[in-house]
Amino acid sequence: MTKRFTGLTFSCVLAAWSLWSVSAQTAPPFAFPLQPDSVRFAIIGDSGTGDAAQSDVAKQMVLQRAVLPFNFVLMLGDNIYGGHSAADLKKKFADPYQRLMTDQVKFYASLGNHDNQDERFYEPFNMGGKRYYSFRKGNAEFFALDSNYMDPAQLDWIRQQLSGSTARWKICYFHHPFYSAARYHGPDQDLRQRLEPLLQQYSVDVVFSGHEHVYERIKPQHGIYYFVLGNSGELRFHDLKPSPETEKGFDTDRCFAMFEIAGDRLYFEAISRQGVIVDSAVIEKH
Amino acid sequence: MLAAGLTLVLPCRAQPRVNEGSAILQTFGEAVTAYVKLRSTADSGLVPLRKGNKKGNILDHQRQLAERVRQSRADAKPGDIFTPVVAEEMRRLLGLAMQGGNAARVHASLRSAEPAPAALRINASFPEKLPMQSTPPTLLLNLPRLPPEIEYRLVGRTLVLRDSAANIVIDFMANALAARP
Repeated sequence: MTKRFTGLTFSCVLAAWSLWSVSAQTAPPFAFPLQPDSVRFAIIGDSGTGDAAQSDVAKQMVLQRAVLPFNFVLMLGDNIYGGHSAADLKKKFADPYQRLMTDQVKFYASLGNHDNQDERFYEPFNMGGKRYYSFRKGNAEFFALDSNYMDPAQLDWIRQQLSGSTARWKICYFHHPFYSAARYHGPDQDLRQRLEPLLQQYSVDVVFSGHEHVYERIKPQHGIYYFVLGNSGELRFHDLKPSPETEKGFDTDRCFAMFEIAGDRLYFEAISRQGVIVDSAVIEKH
Repeated sequence: MLAAGLTLVLPCRAQPRVNEGSAILQTFGEAVTAYVKLRSTADSGLVPLRKGNKKGNILDHQRQLAERVRQSRADAKPGDIFTPVVAEEMRRLLGLAMQGGNAARVHASLRSAEPAPAALRINASFPEKLPMQSTPPTLLLNLPRLPPEIEYRLVGRTLVLRDSAANIVIDFMANALAARP
């Protein structure tokens, strides 16, 4: 199986943009196909600050549903920073995303290093009481992992789940990135060493991570497309350094991204809290 | 006939009946099992934390369980589970995991995991507002498997046995990992 970018926006955008520290520049218009049976979702990472910037991103998500009416959101960890009281969960999750939840948008969380494991029992996170779990939407299967504690039991579980999956698209998401050009943490090399061979073996298509408070799209590694999005609440301004692995980076504001899987194509846009499209492209499966 | 029989029964040199490391880890396993039993008793009668928690009061159960566990093992002290021989075996296993190229990779992984200093006390809670450092999978692959209620955590070079649902320190051992080269 191979994939390639169809290059809807690449040729004109990449030449003009800095690969890192991208500021407010608008990509050319991007048309989601909006196919009736497509899978539509968004991703947010490192979102749970409870501050105004998180709310701005949440409001932008509501606005962008007019462009792509996504019906679920993957959370890439650090869903709740600091305290975890009922008031904290309200301030750092329920309040900012209230409108989305009212509109029946579901959230599927994974755990970050700032999260409390018992978030898995918080109903709006739809984790079913589990640290790691999977769910199917149309022709895609999503695997939420707990990268804080990748023990042998979890490695056995993901091997079993991936080997038994019949989904056309396999998408994994977890907090700690395998690849990143951010200065603050850097990639989790040991996690990559242990987990990436499994993802390769079972033809995982896309991996989403957070932890670094920036947006990055990594050049495909071993046939897998990697995204880092950890700036939906937090932000580490100008944290990206030049890297040959980086396809696109954005580290000057918060953002989220939205996706449509239509048949063998995955369309996506990463959008800043100001509504600027900071990255967009199409991944095609063959 | 008799001589041959005696030769089989009495080897010329005394040998341990089982691998020494296995025996030590069996002791460790028994101590862990005893903790799980104590914890299970402490948990009985508490309102279980169900997956459909809408209000977000997810810490209630954790705090109640932690308090009951503290009362049940009020006299617990460092080294009860990581006894000196168990600690030595754990260091040996971690040392094996850190051989060759693994050491640099594991140390890099630990650095990327947002390490935060934490004062460790038996039965004390992990600080709720501090990030939890992830445990490199290479280390977990080399340590004895634990029941789901318990996990290994690293704080600096200290290996911690943590009750994940009660969020308390069960035991810890200093200098579990060799210093960075």
